[in-house]
Amino acid sequence: MIMVRIYVVDNGGQWTHREWRTLRDLDIDTKIVPNTTPFKEISAERVDGLVLSGGAPRVGLQKELGNCREYLEKADFPILGICAGHQFIAQFFGGETKPSKIPEFGKIELTLVKEDNALFKGVAKKSIVWESHNDEVTVLPKDFEVLGKSENCEIQAMHHKEKPVYGLQFHPEVEHTEYGELIFKNFIEICEK
Amino acid sequence: MFNAEKFIEKTVSNLKKEIKGKALIAFSGGVDSAVAAALAEKAIGDQLVAVHVDTGYMRKGDSENVKKMMEKLGLNFRFIDAGSDYYDSLKNIEDPEKKRKIIGKKFIQIFEKVAGEENVECLVQGTIAPDWIESGDGLRDTIKSHHNVGGLPENMKLKLVEPLRDLYKDEVRKVARLLGLHISERQPFPGPGLAIRIIGAATKERTEIVREACDIVEKEIEDAVKKGKMEKPWQYFAVLIPVKTVGVHGDKRAYGYTIAIRAVQSIDAMTCSYSDISHSVLDNISTKLTNTLGDKINRIVYDVTNKPPGTVEWE
Repeated sequence: MIMVRIYVVDNGGQWTHREWRTLRDLDIDTKIVPNTTPFKEISAERVDGLVLSGGAPRVGLQKELGNCREYLEKADFPILGICAGHQFIAQFFGGETKPSKIPEFGKIELTLVKEDNALFKGVAKKSIVWESHNDEVTVLPKDFEVLGKSENCEIQAMHHKEKPVYGLQFHPEVEHTEYGELIFKNFIEICEK
Repeated sequence: MFNAEKFIEKTVSNLKKEIKGKALIAFSGGVDSAVAAALAEKAIGDQLVAVHVDTGYMRKGDSENVKKMMEKLGLNFRFIDAGSDYYDSLKNIEDPEKKRKIIGKKFIQIFEKVAGEENVECLVQGTIAPDWIESGDGLRDTIKSHHNVGGLPENMKLKLVEPLRDLYKDEVRKVARLLGLHISERQPFPGPGLAIRIIGAATKERTEIVREACDIVEKEIEDAVKKGKMEKPWQYFAVLIPVKTVGVHGDKRAYGYTIAIRAVQSIDAMTCSYSDISHSVLDNISTKLTNTLGDKINRIVYDVTNKPPGTVEWE
């Protein structure tokens, strides 16, 4: 059996290593790569997908997040951005990220607004997710669709309508997110296709 | 999925290559250092010297138990009693990061001294993933400097060997069970010990209070778990807050410190939710704390913060 290969791009998050662990626990061929890695080094290893981790950088205040721009420009495989990774995806495609009016930390209720999306297959309409963010996506990029929201954050989950590009403000990789592992399984399935 | 058996096999073979000659293991008596010691012992046998430092900030009975454990594991060990030295170095130090760095530096000074006497170049540590993640690096913000990573001095001479770097506590426990270590289920205890469970200066007097308080919280919670009144928390302890409040003890005015009870559920310390302890259990703990600690304590609070936004320990 050929193992699916999904790498985790390290943007300096507290939970980057947890993303790696979740993928490894699901028997995925995975490793953490610094966000300064050139795209050609990643593509030479024939990855099936990338996860852009979160991190302390304030995406709304800076133009770049390592080489994430290059990955988004050149990748022909699925990309899942988490927290800062999600915010960068929004900016890259023409949306906007700003400091949250009400930042969210810890336990929050996620409500899915668009059902039967591949990333949320099997996830309940309302579920508990874990958060840790000061900023959020305030303007949805063109060609994107909102998949989930919370009481204080309108864009908790989004995807590109034509490309396999997904963004999550919450953290599916931590133990306390109710359907976290399932969301990763769904992303793996998306990468397998 | 993490395979403990394969991990042991691979790690022992790597350690054989990585360690040249003798090595020290920093042995606190917790799950991480005991697993690291057992693996290193498999790799290099009696070339391993275990060093335990009693910092004065250990829990009740900790250091005596560690001594017994090192004997039981058949380790070649050194026991260093450095309590008064640590109390002196932390005198008037209130900043949590400074506390952690001073403690980290003192550990290394002691290890380097022993290394010189024993002619050793390698230091094995039971560092696990959250230790280096939270300590920060070029990319990551420093949440807190773990004594064994962010607390290390820059010009350290010993070569570090950290076989558990990629593991979380639940995975370390799996390895510990397979190795037959009886402490496999022991709750985590931070390297800086009780010094970071005292907000403000960690004096000897305050340490005695928080040591007793931690012991009471542990025993009461373990008793409640045994009686089926609550789920066993991942970690549970007391924190001394140097805020004095007014009380009334036997018709007389009392003026004492505050103790916070902390208990959390987690598997890996990277996210935690506070434990759902019933009021009757909290009531027992509160009464026991105030009645045992007399005029030193007259206010008990329960910490209901998750991680994030809080961390498990207060400092």
